[in-house]
Amino acid sequence: MKALQQDLKRLEATDTQVLGVSMDSAFANKAFADQIEVTFPLLSDWGGDVTRKYAIYVDKYKAARRVNFLIGKDGKILEEQVDKDAIDPTKIVDKCERPKLKN
Amino acid sequence: MQKGLSNALAASLLLGALALGSATPALGQAKQAENASTSMPKVGEMAPDFTLNYFDGNDLKPVSLSQYRGKKNVVVAFFIFAFTGG
Repeated sequence: MKALQQDLKRLEATDTQVLGVSMDSAFANKAFADQIEVTFPLLSDWGGDVTRKYAIYVDKYKAARRVNFLIGKDGKILEEQVDKDAIDPTKIVDKCERPKLKN
Repeated sequence: MQKGLSNALAASLLLGALALGSATPALGQAKQAENASTSMPKVGEMAPDFTLNYFDGNDLKPVSLSQYRGKKNVVVAFFIFAFTGG
């Protein structure tokens, strides 16, 4: 989440909204956001319905995998980063900055 | 003789596969969420819509993926646990 915050201005400049999601409570996520100084919403998927809908629920940890989805204005997925690859969002930021997506 | 052995091996493999197959639904927890799917949505597919809350310090505020349709791209970043790493 910190890496996305660092790139937030670049993402916002390309008409891109950032949303974090975890299975923590909304209140824990607010405290987490304050602690790491994240200014975009950290949503609470308490119970995990959305995490399961995206098929990234890990039974062993009772939590989501680390996955970044870049979703276009038409609602289609443009890019994905999974697990360790999702720690550095550069691939997604670069994709947003390609001229085609700026419209 | 050798053929009998390989047949036995094949049968035990088949039994093993059957046992695994019957164990999978219990592991998958598919019944917990009606809309749970079995494979992650792929690039080019529609992202499943959702509405989730965040706490802004005063109230719970709902956010839907669909509210950005035709307006903004969205990065949806699933993270594992709050207070662990970045």
